[in-house]
Amino acid sequence: MRVLVVEDEKKTASFIRKALQTEGFAVDVCPDGEAALAAAQATPFDTVVLDIMLPGRDGLSVLRRLRELHLNTPVLLLSARGEVNERVAGLNAGADDYLPKPFELAELVARVRALTRRSVENKATVLRVADLRLDTLTRLAHRGDTEIQLTAREYRLLEFLMRSVNRLCGRMMIIEKVWDYDFDPGTNLVDVYIRRLREKIDTPFEPKLLHTVRGAGYLLKEPA
Amino acid sequence: MTIRTRLTLWYAGILMLSLLVIGYGTYREISEQLRHERWRRPEDRVVNGHALNETEEMVFQVGLPAVGLGLLGGWWLTRRALAPVARLTAEVEKIHEHNLRTPLPRNGSGDELDRLTEVFNAMTARLDGSFTRIREFTLHASHELKTPLTILCGETETALRDETLSPAEHERAISQLDELRRLARIVDGLTLLAKADAGQITLAREPVRLDELIRDNFDDALILAEPAGLQVELSAPEAVQVCGDRHRLRQLLLNLTDNAVKYNRPQGRVHMELRREGALAEYTIANTGPGIPPEILPRVFDRFFRGNPAHENVIEGCGLGLSIAQWIVTAHQGTITIESPEAGLTRVRVRLPIYNPPVK
Repeated sequence: MRVLVVEDEKKTASFIRKALQTEGFAVDVCPDGEAALAAAQATPFDTVVLDIMLPGRDGLSVLRRLRELHLNTPVLLLSARGEVNERVAGLNAGADDYLPKPFELAELVARVRALTRRSVENKATVLRVADLRLDTLTRLAHRGDTEIQLTAREYRLLEFLMRSVNRLCGRMMIIEKVWDYDFDPGTNLVDVYIRRLREKIDTPFEPKLLHTVRGAGYLLKEPA
Repeated sequence: MTIRTRLTLWYAGILMLSLLVIGYGTYREISEQLRHERWRRPEDRVVNGHALNETEEMVFQVGLPAVGLGLLGGWWLTRRALAPVARLTAEVEKIHEHNLRTPLPRNGSGDELDRLTEVFNAMTARLDGSFTRIREFTLHASHELKTPLTILCGETETALRDETLSPAEHERAISQLDELRRLARIVDGLTLLAKADAGQITLAREPVRLDELIRDNFDDALILAEPAGLQVELSAPEAVQVCGDRHRLRQLLLNLTDNAVKYNRPQGRVHMELRREGALAEYTIANTGPGIPPEILPRVFDRFFRGNPAHENVIEGCGLGLSIAQWIVTAHQGTITIESPEAGLTRVRVRLPIYNPPVK
């Protein structure tokens, strides 16, 4: 998996590179838009991480040019501007995801991973992790033979975690996908919901499936 | 007393004084004439009495009506003269923080009032300049803070991945990261408000079922309230539609819920209610918190205002929650108030105009 990181701020580019490399990605870094366009045309990347504020040609213009050239590499936009409507503008310009700065590194990695795997997304209607089973048609969850009652939100949370099995899910990502909030609510909503979900699907059972990665997010993991 | 009344009174005084002078002159003139005609001595009582009668007649029959007319004229003249001032006052009254850029209309005559308007316009332009500079400063400051914050967060997270960290170092890094994220939320809130001040945020305007958002929020409230053992109630929301931005309204509701849960006592209560009040949708959220002293109540919507400094370390928050809530409500043409009677619930009340779809 090869990722192109387009970021002019050296330190930011450096820790993004480090984090992605640790996760097993090959990473190329470009400091400006023109170089990024050249690189994207020369090499097929699996994902592009693109900062909006770049010297010279800005990120949105790079993105539009990429799409004009029919390069459909998934693009994750980064922005420090924090415009409320920028997310929509970015997605309209052809981006696949958007992350406002300052972001959580784990969040960025999780999103890049999600983008690179998008094509092989799990489309099954019954999701399984170990003996945990979730039927997306009847919305029923089972662990072994025990039926588990879930509220609507708990169901969405579990479905999201199960579809991202073995991938770390950042708090913001969960907030976005499960709650459809486009802002950081600054509450411990996610943590409290995870705790409740854990009580239902994990506490009375073995092995444990739902793990907390402190300072990063949550992970539903297939036991080894 | 208005300038107009004062001027008219002065004018009346002056006219009366003139009338006295004219009366005295007339009296002298008439008695002189009579003496001339009859060859009498000046101290002759008949002549003087006669002159006095004639003068009285003149003063009452001609002088007083003339004074009355003069006064009416004066009243009218002052009104005419002061009308532009009244118009100017009405115009100036309309000025507030957000329309400083619109100059007052000038009459173009170059007179005193025109000059006053000109000076006034110059003053508001200077004020506007200062406001803009402050807004831009906040906006730039929050942008400038984002890059170093991104780097700090990223590097701390990178450090966390280092397997060789001792548990103590690991704890420290996580605590630092928590604070960095809080800082990031403050900067986010600040950016949002600075942009809102500068009018750079466009909100969606679409019909939104407020009762549905509230029910949705109620589910979250139940969960958020659980750790503190709070009881949460929602009272019968009927279908109410407002026009606005779904995301911002959800942010508002969550924001208020979060406050009601945070500033509550253990085993306390949170009560939410949605009602129709004529053309308004009224949402109240009440809690059994310690209450807010009346002297600080008007300031709770101020940015970074903290009611009780002692709470600062106990309750985590960015200090901008209520300011953001107020902005969201105002941007939806609504009002938000907070009341906290000494014995009773602390209650936040949001009123938003109900949206009635046009009947086809």
